[in-house]
Amino acid sequence: MLAILDVVSIKYYLILSAFLFTIGVFGVLFRRNAITIFMCVELMLNSVNLLLVAFSTYHHDASGQVFVFFVMAVAAAEVAVGLAILVTIFRNIHSVDIDDLKALKN
Amino acid sequence: MKTLTYTSLLGIFCMLAEILNLRKFIIPIALVALCVIGGLTYCDLNVHFEPFFSDMLRVDNFSTSFSLLLIVIAILLIALSYDFYTAQKDKISDYISIIIFTLCGALALVSFSNMTMFFIGLEVMSISFYILAGTNKREVRSNEAAMKYFLMGSFASGILLMGITLIYGASGSFNLATIAVYASGQNPDITFYIGIILVLVALLFKVSAVPFHFWAPDVYEGSPMLITALMATLGKVASFAAFYKLFAVCFVDAGSHFKLVIAIVVALTILVGNLSAIRQDSFKRMLAFSGVTNAGFMLFAILLPNENGGSALFFYAVAYALSSIAAFAIAIAVSKFSGSEKFDAFKGLAHKHPFSAILLTFAMISIAGIPPFAGFFAKYFILSSAIKGGYFWLAVFAIINSVVAFYYYFKVIIMMFSKPENEDSFSPNFVYITVASIAVLITIIAGFAPGVFFIH
Amino acid sequence: MVNLYVLILAPLVGFLINGLMGKSLPKSVSGIISSFAVFVSFVISSIYFFGFVGGTQAPIDANVFDWITAGETKISFGLLLDQLSGLWLMIITGIGFLIHVYSIGYMHDDENFSRFFAYLNLFIFFMLLLVLGNNFLVMFIGWEGVGLCSYLLIGFWFKNQPYNDAAKKAFIMNRIGDLGFLIGMFLILFYFKTLNYGQLKEALASTQTSHGLLIAITMCLFVGAMGKSAQLPLYTWLPDAMAGPTPVSALIHAATMVTAGIFLIARANFLFSMAPETLSFIAGVGAVTALFAATIGVLQNDIKKVLAYSTVSQLGLMFLAMGVGAYTSGVFHVTTHAFFKACLFLGSGSVIHAMGGEQDIRNMGGLKKWMSITFITFLLSSIAIAGVPPFSGFFSKDEILAHVFEANKVLWVIGSLASFLTAFYMFRLVILTFFGSFRGTHEQEHHLHESPATITIPLVILAVLAVLGGLMGLPEFISHTHWLNSFLAPIFPHAEGHEHMAISTEFALMGLATALAVIGIGIAYSLYVSKQQLPAKEGELKGFAALVYDKYRVDELYNAVFVKPISALSSTLYTIVDKALIDGQLVEGTAGLSMQLGKRIRSLQSGNIGFYLLVMVVAISLILTYVFI
Repeated sequence: MLAILDVVSIKYYLILSAFLFTIGVFGVLFRRNAITIFMCVELMLNSVNLLLVAFSTYHHDASGQVFVFFVMAVAAAEVAVGLAILVTIFRNIHSVDIDDLKALKN
Repeated sequence: MKTLTYTSLLGIFCMLAEILNLRKFIIPIALVALCVIGGLTYCDLNVHFEPFFSDMLRVDNFSTSFSLLLIVIAILLIALSYDFYTAQKDKISDYISIIIFTLCGALALVSFSNMTMFFIGLEVMSISFYILAGTNKREVRSNEAAMKYFLMGSFASGILLMGITLIYGASGSFNLATIAVYASGQNPDITFYIGIILVLVALLFKVSAVPFHFWAPDVYEGSPMLITALMATLGKVASFAAFYKLFAVCFVDAGSHFKLVIAIVVALTILVGNLSAIRQDSFKRMLAFSGVTNAGFMLFAILLPNENGGSALFFYAVAYALSSIAAFAIAIAVSKFSGSEKFDAFKGLAHKHPFSAILLTFAMISIAGIPPFAGFFAKYFILSSAIKGGYFWLAVFAIINSVVAFYYYFKVIIMMFSKPENEDSFSPNFVYITVASIAVLITIIAGFAPGVFFIH
Repeated sequence: MVNLYVLILAPLVGFLINGLMGKSLPKSVSGIISSFAVFVSFVISSIYFFGFVGGTQAPIDANVFDWITAGETKISFGLLLDQLSGLWLMIITGIGFLIHVYSIGYMHDDENFSRFFAYLNLFIFFMLLLVLGNNFLVMFIGWEGVGLCSYLLIGFWFKNQPYNDAAKKAFIMNRIGDLGFLIGMFLILFYFKTLNYGQLKEALASTQTSHGLLIAITMCLFVGAMGKSAQLPLYTWLPDAMAGPTPVSALIHAATMVTAGIFLIARANFLFSMAPETLSFIAGVGAVTALFAATIGVLQNDIKKVLAYSTVSQLGLMFLAMGVGAYTSGVFHVTTHAFFKACLFLGSGSVIHAMGGEQDIRNMGGLKKWMSITFITFLLSSIAIAGVPPFSGFFSKDEILAHVFEANKVLWVIGSLASFLTAFYMFRLVILTFFGSFRGTHEQEHHLHESPATITIPLVILAVLAVLGGLMGLPEFISHTHWLNSFLAPIFPHAEGHEHMAISTEFALMGLATALAVIGIGIAYSLYVSKQQLPAKEGELKGFAALVYDKYRVDELYNAVFVKPISALSSTLYTIVDKALIDGQLVEGTAGLSMQLGKRIRSLQSGNIGFYLLVMVVAISLILTYVFI
């Protein structure tokens, strides 16, 4: 198990995750389609999962991997709720573009 | 521990009650059960417990006091839903069970001792809120509130997770005690600090502190009023308890680096919340911005990690939550009657139904911070410990702002006491009056005997 | 101690009974219950007071219970009954009781009779708390409580919008003052770790305190007093507060609540004495207010407005006394002023009652024919306030001016000028109201009548007090001792007596004051009786007189200087942050300027959520940058 971290140092996992996370953040910021934004949030979560597994190995500690399961379960619940909300919105305004959501403002 | 277990069981029961054809009895059963759970929780005060579930949860007086407050909030709001959901009787079991699941998440947030539990508690609470915000399915505004809250909330969750992971990477554990030891040790890693900042940001988002507050007014306005009340009271109180647990207890040494950041956030939150609230003509939106301002006051407690900070925060939470519930109860009754959530809807209320006008007046006076109501002492404790902690100018700034706030709190009082436009008779359902009376009564008691509400 | 509790709680019980069951009680019962509650307090107050007078009563300073004990924070709910609070108790409960009785007659036809009495009782309760507390926090609770009751009572006829605005104005102006009080209180707590008067006094005596700090604390407290006692520049709420029922004006806005600022300074005199700079400032503000309000009073035509400006002016005189360190004289004037001003207000109420709600003195005249009791009492009180010997106002005012003369000649000139104007406008009021021929409508003339006994009896009692009240502070060359001086000696140890001044100077000053008062009355007489002038109608005044008539347009000034900029700032923020940025209007504006850039920017942040998220990310980046670079 430890061998892999000798070959590819933990630092690179950190950089990769940070990179994926940033892609996710920018996706959330610059995409207008709600479904794409969901996917970008998922990308953020999964970069975190990757990092968790790497740290778990690094620390010889299983709790990091257990945490990943919690994250996945929660993410699944979140997406289910998110898609349900999306469907109700689509029924009402026939669009999933977040720019069309401007009824609530000052 | 048993509080959380029984509440979860109650939530599951409420969900299944639909199948058992018990729809009519769900609210009474939930209320009675919550009262019993509240009683059991009360018995936990001053009892020493070992950590539960391999140190996932710890029960102490801090968590028990906050749990009690959360249960009281839930009881009052579930009682309100009796009349609130008359139009959607067939969905009642879903709503009640989700509200109870929200409570479960909140309870986990006040008693966690492991990052895993913290994350799960926060997510259970937030996901329930996403659903509840959109319960008014045919109303575009409700949809939009749910969508906005969901998008921004899940984004914040991502940031929170990254923070937790970095903290784990540096300290090698999710356990708060271990992390605290690491934080106070020699030279924590830089990733640890980045992790703390990300967790800080996510929590600032949850408590709607400026500049992470943008979601709050929109979501509060779009959601059904009862849910707004739930988010503004239960959600905020639980998030603050977690915030305090993490930053005033766990990261206390490492956190001292960010004091200035938090101080700036406090100042901005109070100022922006206040200035925005002044311009509102919707009562609900005004309450949303007033919630932002009050969050600024509660953030003071995070700045002051001493033994008084927890008590001051708890007392503020009691005062703020109960005054808000009283205000929301009357506002729901009024908006149900007039179909409007604007200030104009309150015109002449004192003439039409003096008692509810008096209750709302008391609630506003308490939030505004005028003695002898609890709201005054809440501000007094927070600000006096802030001054003792060396934040004199920030406290003065907060006092000045709290004076400005009188303007919009009294706007509604003036509306109520001015001449009614029509002579419609207005007789709200007794549950609104009862709930508001109980909430006001507690704020009065808290004003006259604040010591009772201190965590020892 | 039990008596003391009963004294405080009786009005609260009255409030609860009237507040909870008022609607189901008959009117007479409701009024009697609340008057009785205040009467109980009055009897107990008298027992204590005469105990102090006879020397048999020792001051009571007791912590009733520890309000909060948590860590270092310890706040007690404590009471302090000594000569100073004893004297105030007599004013509050004595005059309070008379006004309750008066209100039974005055408010008889009001549909919210019981609510009115509930508020009055609540007011008395908070006022008692204010004067009886043994620390600043209890005083502050009373202070806020009376403010709240005042707000409720000004807006009592809440169906009338201007009345609500007046109530709001009173409340907000008071809040500005309270802000000062609060900051002062927090400063005391921070530096001395206590709010208790006794402990603070000890702490001040035992430790070296920086002079700047003392000035800061006393200035903050004085800002609080300015708000509550309607001093420049926070006075404009008091004339507007006349929108409330007349008994309220008499009780709250003349006799008791507005003197709370004086009480604060008297109570904390040990603190103020250590900050002479603040005292000079107080004296200056007091003198300017006295003159300023008196000039406005000269041209007012609303009977209650004249009295209101006169109250502001007299309060200024009291602050002038406090400011030159003549604490006893200030308190003396509070007492005599309570007598004659309450009588004047109640008398004006009686007049308004008879005139069927008319308040403009241009439409009155010759009322002495119909209302002899009201007339005589009103006249006696006017003589008292004008400062003609041997009425009560003469002694208290003369004493103040004598002290001021010793301290500062310029202030003395201002003060004397203010009292001269007072004599003039009070008699202008008396003459226009009661002398000459009736100028109202026939309908009103037909309706004119003397008020019932519940109204006239309090008037008579107050008039007697207004005449004789000076006896408690006779100068030393008439009686052997200045009674009030020796009575209050335990409170004001450094209070200076008259003994420094030569008797001849004193006589000269008295003579001058009397002469000024008589001249003022004489001018009023010649103008309004001999020449039969009438005040000008709206718009006929020119130049300076018009400015004075418009109360120097101070309200308009405040509107322009404070209210408008704040709402402008607020609406700018509203427009920029809420409308422009969030709604994307700024983006669209930029797009209008530059189509090419505009398209990009719009695609970047034209959506609400997108903007919100962007702000979040920018803020995170800023925090990270700050912490690590």
